[in-house]
Amino acid sequence: MIHSKKKQKAPNYNLYGWAFISIAFFLYLLSTIYPAVESLMLSFKSFQGGEYVFVGLKNYKRMFGDAIFIQTLKNTFLFMLIQVPIMLFLALIIATLLNSKYLKFKGFFRTSIFLPCVTSLVAYSILFKMMFSLNGIINQVFMALGILDKPFQYLQNSNWARAIIIVAMLWRWTGYNVIFYLSALQNIPRETFEAAKVDGASTVQTFFRVTVPQLKPIILLTTIMSTNGTLQLFDETMNITQGGPANSTLPVSHYIYNQSFIYAPNFGYASAISYVVVFIMIILAIIQFSVASEKK
Amino acid sequence: MAPEEFKDKKFARKSGKRSSEMKKLSLTVLVLIVGLAGVFASGAQEKSADKAVTIWAWDDNFNIAVMKEAAKVYAANHPESDLKVDIVSLSKEDVYVKLQTALAAGGSGLPDIVLLEDYVSGKYLNTFPGSFEELTNHFNYADFLSFKVDAVSQKGKVYALPFDTGATALYYRIDLVEAAGYTEADMQNLTWDEFIEIGKDVTAKTGTPMIVEIANNKTTLVRAIMQSSGKWYYDKNGEIDIKNNEALRSAFEIIQAMKAAGILYEAESTEGRAKALNTGAVASVVNAPWFISALRQAKDQSGLWRATRIPRIASNPASINASNVGGSSWYVLAKSPVKDKAIAFLQDVWQGNNDFYGTIMLNQGAMGSYIPAYGTSVFDVEDAFFGGQKINALFAEVLPDVIPVNYGGYVAEANDAITTALANLFAGKVTIDEALAQAESQLKNQLGR
Repeated sequence: MIHSKKKQKAPNYNLYGWAFISIAFFLYLLSTIYPAVESLMLSFKSFQGGEYVFVGLKNYKRMFGDAIFIQTLKNTFLFMLIQVPIMLFLALIIATLLNSKYLKFKGFFRTSIFLPCVTSLVAYSILFKMMFSLNGIINQVFMALGILDKPFQYLQNSNWARAIIIVAMLWRWTGYNVIFYLSALQNIPRETFEAAKVDGASTVQTFFRVTVPQLKPIILLTTIMSTNGTLQLFDETMNITQGGPANSTLPVSHYIYNQSFIYAPNFGYASAISYVVVFIMIILAIIQFSVASEKK
Repeated sequence: MAPEEFKDKKFARKSGKRSSEMKKLSLTVLVLIVGLAGVFASGAQEKSADKAVTIWAWDDNFNIAVMKEAAKVYAANHPESDLKVDIVSLSKEDVYVKLQTALAAGGSGLPDIVLLEDYVSGKYLNTFPGSFEELTNHFNYADFLSFKVDAVSQKGKVYALPFDTGATALYYRIDLVEAAGYTEADMQNLTWDEFIEIGKDVTAKTGTPMIVEIANNKTTLVRAIMQSSGKWYYDKNGEIDIKNNEALRSAFEIIQAMKAAGILYEAESTEGRAKALNTGAVASVVNAPWFISALRQAKDQSGLWRATRIPRIASNPASINASNVGGSSWYVLAKSPVKDKAIAFLQDVWQGNNDFYGTIMLNQGAMGSYIPAYGTSVFDVEDAFFGGQKINALFAEVLPDVIPVNYGGYVAEANDAITTALANLFAGKVTIDEALAQAESQLKNQLGR
């Protein structure tokens, strides 16, 4: 006897899904989308006499003639072009080393590489500043070793100040990328390494020919994340160099802060600069994506 | 189990589970909605009738301590009053950031009274007209120093209660100066050239650099030297005055000469500057009365410090041995719900009460702007930290000489332009003329002129 199917409408679990995320989505709209749209509107206005006045593209035009803004772009790109490749390459090497079968005390090494990432940005920036100050440890060590005969003011020299910011960022963020690469490395099938060994590849060759190509998606992810992070650099320069001798370490976000809070407040102009940064990020992401897919 | 029974059981279980699932779902959504409503509602609570007067200021040792004393004095004078004064201590930069944000956001989260440096008076009064209560008729401004009243006025209307002045002095270590063969008399009414000569001897014979400045912000010295001849980054009409500003040029020359002579100690921050002074790594500093509390932290140096008038520019006849660095005033926010209480509080303590001004002078070294208070006996007090010198009398003497200048609304931009130019000058990348030209063009660029 054929059992008569009770005609029951299958519960529409889609509705439940929507109901559950509706509140989170609403909060997302309120706290992320709405401010983003409002600040875009703000970038077309100027704060004059206590009111926002619509000025069209004037803020954007002003940017092109703003010498300090151009300088901040140069600084930010300099940091990006030097720091990101070095950091990612270093992270790759460290991750590969940490992934080795023969390494003892893996836990200790992994913790110590990652520890800088959980330190407070302000605390470590101030420590770096102290380290490189006139009677800081770097000067003392160099004088004791006889390399210097009187303390050198690193932070007053444009090139050294930039180098210090880059070193600080390397110290802080390499561990973060190591974790990404480490987890990706553990997904690479061991057979590929064994095949490479059988074929007689050296460690270096294995690294470049076997490991890196398989890590391509994760390398792309970390490149984009690191680029974005460097474009938003603020804490280190604020605390170590305050924009550096003669604006040589002033990044764009620090300049936005100055425009909003230090100078005669100009939130419209600051918004316009932020949107230009977003635009730059998008262009860079597009470039990075196309480079990654090209190599395939 | 027969297939039919199994299916029934499956459906039965599902329907039972589904109705209890439905209950759980509706309960969860209800709780979430109530929770959300609670979050939004708490923000809109009615303010209680006796809201405290909130005051924002910085520097626990100075401004905050002074205001706390004011609250005490008011409470003592009005025991029947239930006025609560809530003094919030922030860093100076935080006060500006929070105030600017709250004002730009249309005025929520504002305090009732706020302390602002006179340097930013123009910026706030120009950018946020109507946000600060006009106080012209609430105080007798004839009793206050005119250059302070001017600094907080616009078009004849006064918007703040003047507080401390920055009458500049040269604080120096008498023991180090004497070790180089000079006496206290030799340090009076110097020119900068003479000061540099003395500095060279002091540095050579004691190994201590003569004077300190903050490495990437030497504008305290620049501003002190400029205002000693009545000049500023802007002229009386608010036009940029940098390239052809003789006093500014002299300031650059003087600082460069100090560095060349090896007598300038460049501290990497304000804390570094205070530490250098407290540990005896530097012999002198140019600053205002409010700076003394930082010097006093080194209790083992008591009796070793002296104060005198700052040096003047030898080649500039307009330059005198007096100047001003900083100084702030109290503003009342126009949208404050307890505006009247705040004004009454200020009137009661800060006007007509010479004892109050005497107390804050003694305890915090605060040099107020209330002229009638200058006649009190506090000015005869001998300060042990300064070897018995009547330091308050020195400030009272310097103050009337200070040449007032109109700071304008764009001081931060000008300071940055000068700092950049000085950094390039010290790195040897430009000459003084080029540095000044650079600063002027950077400022013009920033201000859109």
